[in-house]
Amino acid sequence: MRERGWAALRGYTFLVYGFVYLPIMLMGLFSLNGSDIIAFPLRGFTLEWYDTILHDQRILNGLLTTMSIAFPVTIITTLLGSMAAIVLTRHEFKLKFLFLGLLILPFFVPKLIFAIAQVTFLSDVGIKKGLLTVCISQALIILPFVTVIIASVLIRMDRSLEEAAGDLGATGWQTFRMVTLPLMKNGIMAGAFISFVLSNAEYTVSYFTSGRAQPLSVLVASDFRFHLSPSLNALAMLIVFFNILIIVTSEWLRHKKVQP
Amino acid sequence: MKPKRLDRQRRLTLLSLAGPNILFITAFCVLPLLVLFSYSFFQVDFVSIIREPSLENYLRIAKSETYRGLIIKALVYGVGIAFICSIIAYPLAFFIAKRVKVYKAALLTLLLIPLYTGDLIRIFAWRVVLGAEGVLNSLFMWLGIIQEPIWVLLFSPFATTIVLTYNYLPFMVLPLWAAVEALDDSYIEAAMDLGCRRIAVFFKVILPLSGAGLVAGFLMVFVLVVGDYLTPQLMGGSTGITVTSAIHDMFGAAFDWPTGSALAWLLLVSMTLFVILVSYLFYRSPWGRGIRRNS
Repeated sequence: MRERGWAALRGYTFLVYGFVYLPIMLMGLFSLNGSDIIAFPLRGFTLEWYDTILHDQRILNGLLTTMSIAFPVTIITTLLGSMAAIVLTRHEFKLKFLFLGLLILPFFVPKLIFAIAQVTFLSDVGIKKGLLTVCISQALIILPFVTVIIASVLIRMDRSLEEAAGDLGATGWQTFRMVTLPLMKNGIMAGAFISFVLSNAEYTVSYFTSGRAQPLSVLVASDFRFHLSPSLNALAMLIVFFNILIIVTSEWLRHKKVQP
Repeated sequence: MKPKRLDRQRRLTLLSLAGPNILFITAFCVLPLLVLFSYSFFQVDFVSIIREPSLENYLRIAKSETYRGLIIKALVYGVGIAFICSIIAYPLAFFIAKRVKVYKAALLTLLLIPLYTGDLIRIFAWRVVLGAEGVLNSLFMWLGIIQEPIWVLLFSPFATTIVLTYNYLPFMVLPLWAAVEALDDSYIEAAMDLGCRRIAVFFKVILPLSGAGLVAGFLMVFVLVVGDYLTPQLMGGSTGITVTSAIHDMFGAAFDWPTGSALAWLLLVSMTLFVILVSYLFYRSPWGRGIRRNS
């Protein structure tokens, strides 16, 4: 293709990335603006909004709840996701398409419908909403993502190493323990990081299943439905920075070459 | 070891790996959906639910023009946004796959960041930008382009469309990128060498060979847009009544779980039918040849 065509495409790509990042950057700009009205013209630099949000006891309590949900969710999804990824990439069986269908079911079903299904289920079984119920329903929503991330690493892995181990007389468990696991370790870690981020960000399902244990996302949503404030900007920016850190680490791990 | 014993051991491994997943998803996703299904046959009387199965909820929804309209509106939005996303994403996916070398991973990670950051923050950012006293309006007024704030920016179908496109664009770019990445350059070069014009190259070579990625992205965006309930609610204002917000109301203030369940299941069924239809048509079409050959 001629150079001019590529130049046009490059410009177009910049434009789309601009569209993707513009709202976030404007949010960042106004989190540092010295006025409590989020509007131009700018009124000078301040860190006041960050100070406000970091000393807000309600927000900190929400953060604590968010963390006590995120850690169990990460453990559940990483364990189940690793197992599912191995099944998808290393096993052939007749009903595999059914297994795959079951795995993507929580992704396919709209979150709201999934959430109200949980509500009816919990009310019929008689389980009280709380930390446990949010953890389980979040884990279901996040499981497909973690499975795909770990499977993406397993697919790229050289199968001959595992076959060699088998040929040399290693049992299935030994092969897994000494060959597969070390090679998929980065994938598992990448999956765990993403699971953590997704759990923090989850709103719809948490809103319906959390009961009194309100995580940060639910608290903030009720705030910004009624009024926007620069301190919410600051909070959102802190979350975005934290996420960038984790996602970049996760992607780096996922693509890292493993020394055998 | 004897092959037979090896085979048995492999089956045991498979069972122990797949079993927990099957149990977990069946118990906490399939079962709740079935409970929801059972509710769609019940009735509500004031504050209690009468568990006498009937088809009344479904009949009422089928007769109501409002409910039918809401479901159709959701499906139309799903197709529309998926279409817009595919138009925006194709050149991007092509550029990242075929031209970018060093920064490929970086560009793809940059797409993943907003995706993983969650809809709440993305919608919040757009409200900051589009609000009546928001960034865009105040910028225009400050620069003297407009005198009065443009109200339609927020709480309008326009805002909803922008934010939905924004929210789900990565789900279109990533499968498209994977499909174009796998496409052999020599096909494009051969077509160009033989005098094919650029537009024709796209429609005769690139599009048919990346069809699977397009359909995957299209269906993902469709499913996510149909099921989205935060965006229209927070961006659409009073025009933002959707089937999902109607379902939400029935489980909240209105306390009509049975009708809500029936509406939810009708939406689920119509979504599934659409996805099956598109997949089938794609499979049968000339573009689906690649998939047919593999299986």
